Amino acid sequence: MQLELRGITKRFGSFTANDQISLKVEPGQIHSLLGENGAGKSTLMNVLFGLLRPDEGEILIDGVVTPINDSGEAVRRGIGMVHQHFMLVPVFTVAENVVLGFEPKKSFDRIDYRAATEDIRRLSQEFHLEVDPDAVIENLPVGLQQRVEILKALSHDAELLILDEPTAVLTPQEIDALMDIMRSLAAAGKSILFITHKLKEVKAIADVITVIRHGQVVGTAEPSASESELASLMVGRDVQLTVTKSTYDPGDEVLEVRDLVVLDDRGLVAVNGVSFDVRAGEVLALAGVQGNGQTELVEALVGMRPVVSGSITLKGRDITHLSPRDALDAGLGHIPEDRQRDGLVLSMSVADNLVLNTPRRAPFARRGTRNLAAVKENAQRLVREFDIRTTSIEAPASSLSGGNQQKVIVARELSRNIEFLVASQPTRGLDVGSIEYVHRQFIEHRNRGNGSLIVSSELDEVLALGDRIAVMFEGRISGIVDPTTSREDIGLLMAGHTTEVAGV
Amino acid sequence: MSLVSTTPVATTTPIIKSARTRVIAVIMAVIGLFSFVVFGLGSTVRSHAALSFTPLNLVNAPWHLGSLTVATRWTDIVLSLIIVALAAEVFIRQPSRGVMPRFGIAAILFLVTLLFWAARTDGPSQVNSVNVTSILVGCSATVMVLVFGSLSGVMCERAGVVNIAIEGQFIAGAFLGSMIASTTGNFFYAAIAGAVVGGLIGLVLAFFALRYQSDQIIVGIVLVTMLSSLSSYLNLQVFTPFPNFNTGNLASNLAIPILSKIPIIGPVLFNQSAFFYLMIVLVAVVSFALFKTRYGLHVRAVGEHPRAAATVGINVVRVRYINVVLGGAIAGIGGVAFMATQGQFQVGYTSGLGYIALAALIFGRWRPSGAVVASIIFGLTVYLSYELVTYQVPVSLYFLQMIPYLITIGVVAGLIGRVRPPAADGQPYLRD
Repeated sequence: MQLELRGITKRFGSFTANDQISLKVEPGQIHSLLGENGAGKSTLMNVLFGLLRPDEGEILIDGVVTPINDSGEAVRRGIGMVHQHFMLVPVFTVAENVVLGFEPKKSFDRIDYRAATEDIRRLSQEFHLEVDPDAVIENLPVGLQQRVEILKALSHDAELLILDEPTAVLTPQEIDALMDIMRSLAAAGKSILFITHKLKEVKAIADVITVIRHGQVVGTAEPSASESELASLMVGRDVQLTVTKSTYDPGDEVLEVRDLVVLDDRGLVAVNGVSFDVRAGEVLALAGVQGNGQTELVEALVGMRPVVSGSITLKGRDITHLSPRDALDAGLGHIPEDRQRDGLVLSMSVADNLVLNTPRRAPFARRGTRNLAAVKENAQRLVREFDIRTTSIEAPASSLSGGNQQKVIVARELSRNIEFLVASQPTRGLDVGSIEYVHRQFIEHRNRGNGSLIVSSELDEVLALGDRIAVMFEGRISGIVDPTTSREDIGLLMAGHTTEVAGV
Repeated sequence: MSLVSTTPVATTTPIIKSARTRVIAVIMAVIGLFSFVVFGLGSTVRSHAALSFTPLNLVNAPWHLGSLTVATRWTDIVLSLIIVALAAEVFIRQPSRGVMPRFGIAAILFLVTLLFWAARTDGPSQVNSVNVTSILVGCSATVMVLVFGSLSGVMCERAGVVNIAIEGQFIAGAFLGSMIASTTGNFFYAAIAGAVVGGLIGLVLAFFALRYQSDQIIVGIVLVTMLSSLSSYLNLQVFTPFPNFNTGNLASNLAIPILSKIPIIGPVLFNQSAFFYLMIVLVAVVSFALFKTRYGLHVRAVGEHPRAAATVGINVVRVRYINVVLGGAIAGIGGVAFMATQGQFQVGYTSGLGYIALAALIFGRWRPSGAVVASIIFGLTVYLSYELVTYQVPVSLYFLQMIPYLITIGVVAGLIGRVRPPAADGQPYLRD
């Protein structure tokens, strides 16, 4: 299928999310849409998939203007979408999810599951997407769930597949498998629109690259373009893609974790006997596919989740069972995974958010009343030092961009005299410029001789920051390796293989 | 540098059994020991009570099983020990399924021990016999109402809308049902009227929940409060001056030939009003529709993951409207059915059955079949606690009437976190 977008414009109030976007996807082509978070990629895809209606512009399918008013219509026109957050019902089987909305029917409105299962098997074979039709989605690993999403689109006879940030949740091996699937789909004549902000992947797979920034197409590029060329096109200025660290010279152990066992919200073991040390002047990066216990581990460290057994020691002091406030007072700094839920009070001002961890302590409070002058002075200083872009220190935190919200948290945690920093997914959803900034702050913190644990599911980030890299899989540490270890080997650890890495 | 081993590490995550099961076991043990000590050991009078198995009013019963006379003290001791044994079994084995049914059985056994104890206690009107069949027939009315209510809940909550207004739909159905049945003398029209008014209340709930994304619980509570006050007002304004509108009709029983003559269960299951048979049909129809049909798949998808449903072209809002209105209609019929077992409308006589039906829905894991099992257990406890009043148990009437609600709290508290409701239950659906 040939798909053309002509002058698509979508506004939300005074904000223009898509501004006169035009692009063309040819049959059998893998067309990559590259842009930062907030550049308007998802809006454009939602327009194309009928979830949003454009204010201007038109969509042409095989040269014919085709308005798409809802997603059912998009599907009927042969457009299939693999959403970033899978549109699968977790408690349904693969077959139920694939047929949903397009069920083969028997008498009395019953669903013909036999026909459905056969259909799935046929498609699985044709496109090498092996999956058991009777498996329940929530029991499948993420990579397989994504296959089900692709199968679902193919079962509706999709000729054009939109893949929205498909690699965000995958291990490197699963990413390779996905790339193979994409190539075979393209070889079978399907068109693919691949949305991402990851430069490596674009270079690996795309036939054509369209770069968008602030809702506008800023250029097209060949896959042969260098990563820094693509990055500066995407960001609009030159970007330092690597961080420079001083030499690795670790001191004494700061944080010791021994045999830690922590449960998740459902009462299942999420952290299963984890032990590690972090030394002064060292960044331990914790890699792993999301949902392997990293979240629970971090919450246990900072007192947000009870520890079932095991111990946590900070500079010789047992902090295993401290409350979050006591943990912060003991010298932990915490940059939480979900910054809007756990890191900020969105409706409160920037100034108040900047003292959220020490509101009762001098100089911000005295004899039970707040010292607003000190709060204000602190806010003015931090906004200046950490380059937080805000209209005023009294503006609510919700009015800031994601990158600046994260800067508020980083400023708050790092401006205090802390012994140890725990940061979880610190650059998720941030643009390249903010990532660069946050990374520099972390490295400065390390160079001052402090310890840090940085949890990230982005392998690039782990490799850039970590002095040592721990990999977590199903609640255990499957290995602790040097940052010189190859991506493939770390990927194997992320998939649960054990370390017997020669020389490590 | 390469990986030598490629064996994945253990992929199983052990489950630490929650302490909740043990808490339930301890509660059961306390109940069992209480009845053991107070009703068993503690009683000094060694008297007997008769267990009778013949229905009192079924004159044409071709059978007569007679009665069984048992020593009440020893029966109480044995039943108490069974409760304790159940508690011990739950505590030690911690079964992953079926804890709640065991708890329900323990609760019913406790009420039976209380019944026996009461039956032979000295008092102004000593009752020495317990008629098993009449208890079962008596509780079937309560069970039926609870099934209607929890089926209504299944319909709504499977589509992701919490219908806490079931109580209000009962009240409205009962009020209008009595009026129509009194004027037309026909329960069919009454049932239609109940379905319409219940459906309209469902429509109001759906309108606020879906159009304005209001908090569904609050809208539901407001509706119940409004309807119960409205029914008091209309009762005063209409039924008091015009008693002809509320004359008191009981739906007549339709005995199914042969089947109704089966000992014990015959009169319970096969000599009932049309409402009872309608309930059985509805349970089957709702089960089939939810789990076998396209419609049901759409409903469950909307209740679990509405965005996923929307991306394949299912109209989430429409499915929710339809289900909330149908669910409301079922609850409305339930109100008429309740009125038909009582004969006429009285203010406040549904006394929270709509809420107990919601608890039965949770207990039954949002499945029609589970809701039936839960309704039987709950209905029996509700009915027995009322029945005990007539036995002149030397316990405060009000305390006895608290029992079903206490059990409901225990059940719901024990279930929270263990049983998964539809993932989008109670969540407003926003299109963008």
